[in-house]
Amino acid sequence: MKRILVICCLAFVETLLQAQQSDIVIYPSPREDTKLAVVSFVPRTVATADVQSVADNFNQVLLEDLEFSAFFEIPSKSFYPLKPLRFPVDVNFDNWQVPTLDVDFLIFGNLQVDRSLAMVEAYLYDVKTHQQVLGKRYTIPDSSFVQRVAHEFADQVVFQLSAGTSQGVARAQIAFTSLKGESKEVHVMDYDGRNQRSVTANGGINKFPAWSFDNEKLAFVTTLPGTAKWELWVQGLQGGRTVLPVPSSYVSSPAFSSDGKMIAFSGRRPERQDAEIYVADVDGVELRNLSNHPGIDTSPTWSPTTQQIAFISDRSGSPQLWVMDVDGSNVQRLMKEGGHCDSPDWSPDGRFIVYSWQAPTQWKHDIYVIEVATGKIFQLSSGRGDNESPHWSPDGRHIVYQSTRTGTKQIFVMNADGNNSRQVTRYGANDSPAWAGYVAIEETIEEVSDEETEGLAEKMQEGEGLQEAERP
Amino acid sequence: MMKNKTFYLSVSLCVVAMLGVSSCGRKQPPVVAPVPESPPVQVEKPAPEPAPTVSIGASPATIERENQTTLRWQSSNATSVVIDNGIGNVEKSGSIVVSPLESTTYTATATGAGGDAKSSTRVTVVPKSVEVAVTSTDLDSLKRAIDEGLVKPIFFPYDKAELTDESKTVLEANAQVIQKFVQANLVIEGHCDERGTEEYNLALGDRRAQVVKDYLVQLGVSGGRLETISLGEERPFVEGSNESAFSQNRRAHFIVKR
Repeated sequence: MKRILVICCLAFVETLLQAQQSDIVIYPSPREDTKLAVVSFVPRTVATADVQSVADNFNQVLLEDLEFSAFFEIPSKSFYPLKPLRFPVDVNFDNWQVPTLDVDFLIFGNLQVDRSLAMVEAYLYDVKTHQQVLGKRYTIPDSSFVQRVAHEFADQVVFQLSAGTSQGVARAQIAFTSLKGESKEVHVMDYDGRNQRSVTANGGINKFPAWSFDNEKLAFVTTLPGTAKWELWVQGLQGGRTVLPVPSSYVSSPAFSSDGKMIAFSGRRPERQDAEIYVADVDGVELRNLSNHPGIDTSPTWSPTTQQIAFISDRSGSPQLWVMDVDGSNVQRLMKEGGHCDSPDWSPDGRFIVYSWQAPTQWKHDIYVIEVATGKIFQLSSGRGDNESPHWSPDGRHIVYQSTRTGTKQIFVMNADGNNSRQVTRYGANDSPAWAGYVAIEETIEEVSDEETEGLAEKMQEGEGLQEAERP
Repeated sequence: MMKNKTFYLSVSLCVVAMLGVSSCGRKQPPVVAPVPESPPVQVEKPAPEPAPTVSIGASPATIERENQTTLRWQSSNATSVVIDNGIGNVEKSGSIVVSPLESTTYTATATGAGGDAKSSTRVTVVPKSVEVAVTSTDLDSLKRAIDEGLVKPIFFPYDKAELTDESKTVLEANAQVIQKFVQANLVIEGHCDERGTEEYNLALGDRRAQVVKDYLVQLGVSGGRLETISLGEERPFVEGSNESAFSQNRRAHFIVKR
C-alpha cells in the first residue's frame, strides 16, 4: 500500500545572497507525490442555513490546513464528481481515477449539529486500493469546536500520509504578544490566526513568550506598571504562575530546553552593565551563568539535543550569531558576515538555525536560515517591511514570524523555504510569535473501524438516526 | 519669617562639594589637575635636553553658563606653550580668564628641545541658577526638576551605549540637581529606536540605563537611589520612522520612583 509518499528532505539549494531574493528556494516542492481530493463534508440530514454555515466553516479550515501542510497536491473542487459523499458506500473509486483527477487519496465525511452536541465523521481512503486509511468520529460539545476538529483531522491525515515525517502542525498553537493601549499581553491562537485568546491580563508589558516542552506553560518576561524591573514568569495555560528568581532588573528571551528540564534566558549581574546567558532548572534554582563575557549576550536557543545553545552576542562589535556548549565552553561565532542578527531559533531536527538578520548591505531585517554544520546561509523573506522573530513549527517545515509589511507589526506563517506566506493576525500590533510543540492526539476521539462505519452507513441509509446511539 | 521660602540653587557650591566626594577613589572623576602652589625650580642640565613639563588647571572647575573661570598653567623646559580651543600661544606660565558656553576640555601643549608635554583640564558648564520652589518633599521637588528640564534625558548614537562628552556634561548637571533631593529615588529607563530587533534592543536599553547609573554613581550619587529598567523599543517618545524620531528615542530617561 502506498502510504509513504512524501520524502521531506530539507535539501537546500544554495543561493547566493547577492542573487535576486525571489529566486531563493530551500527544499523541493513536497507536493509532487501525493494527490489528495478533499471533498466538502456534508450535513447528515437536511441542512438549515445554520448547519450549512458550520459545514462551510469546517470545510474551509480543513482545506486550508491540508494545503498549508505542503504535503499534497489538492486538485480544484471544480473537477470533483458532483455527487456528495457522506459515507464510504457513497464512493465510486473509479470516478476519482479519471485523468482529470487521478488522485491517490480521498477525504470526505459528514457532520451533524444539534443544539447541544455536534458530531463530525471524517474519512480518508486510498483510492487505488479502496482501503480506509482513517475513519474518525469526533463528538464535540457544540458547533464552535468544528475548527478544532478540522485541525485534528488534518493533522491525522498528515501523520498518516507523511510516513511519520510530520505529526501535523495545525493543532500546535502560536503564542504571541499583542499591544493593547499601554499594555502588551500574551495571547495564544490557532496557527491560522483563529481562536485568539489572552493568557495574561496584568496590564504590564509582557514579552517573548516561550512554550514549555509539554505545551502547558508559557515562560515570558513581564514588567508591571509602577515597577522598575523585568520578571521571568512561567504561567500555565490552565492557570498557576511562578516567578523565577533572576539576578537583576533585566531579564529577557527565555527558552525551555526540549527535555523540559531547564530554562535559558538573558540576564545581568547587578554590578555589571551587560546581559549574559543564564541557565536554570525549570523552577529557577541552580542558576548558572554561561557567558561571562563583556558585551551583550541574549536570545538563547537550545539545540534539540540540549547539548548546545546558540545565542546573540555583540562581543565582536555588532550583534552576531554564536554557539556554545551547554556548560559555556567551546564558544564559536557561527557566521562572519557582519550586520545585525537577532532572535535565533534552532530547528527541531537540529540542522538549521533560523534568525533575523539585517545584512550589512541592507537597511531592514529579513528572515534567514543558517545550516549549522556548513555555515551556508539562505534568505527566506524579502520585500517590504522588517521581517523578524522567526520560530519553527514543530515539524520544522514551517516558520512563523512577524512582519511590518502591512504597515503594522503582524504575524505571518510560511513554508520553511520562504514560500507561501500567509498573514494570520490583522488587527492591532502583534509580535514575538512562538509555535508550540506537537500536540498529542486527544483521547476523546473515537476510532471508527471500517466495519462500524459500513454498518453505520447502512443504518443511516435504512433511515435509522445516529443521534441517539451517539449520545453519551 | 521664612515660610513659603524660595531660594536659589547655589549650583557652583554644590558642584564643588560633589566633586570633592567624587574624587575620592572613583574612576575617572571629572576633577581638575591640581595647580602647583609655586613654580617648580628650573634646573639647567647640559645634555640630553630635558623633557618639558606642563600642568594646567581651572578654578573654579565648574561654572554656570555665562560665568567665568580662570585657567592657570605652568611649564618647565618649554620653548612655547599652546592652549587649544582658540586660545593659542601663551606665556610659559600664566593664567587667562575664559567663559565657555559649553563644558570644554582645555589642553595645554608645551614644546621644548626635549620634546612635547600635554596637560588637560575640563571646565564643566552648568545651566544658570534656577529657581526651584521647595515643596513638601524631595520627591515632588525632583519630579518638578525633571518636568522643568533640569534633569535631562541622555541621548545615544545608533546601536551605542557609551556616553559622549556632551552626555557626561548633562549628567554632571543632572547629578547636582539629583543630589539636592537626597530623599528621592530615581528610575533610569533605557530606550531604543525601532530599527534594531526586539530582543537585542531590550538588552541595549538595559546597558544604556546601566551606563548612566554607573556614571551618576561615579559622580557621587548613591547607587541605592537609582533603579534601572530597559523598555527597549516599547515606549518611543516620538512616533515616526526617520532619524529625527529615532534619535529622540535612543535615550536614557529619568523618572521619580514613587
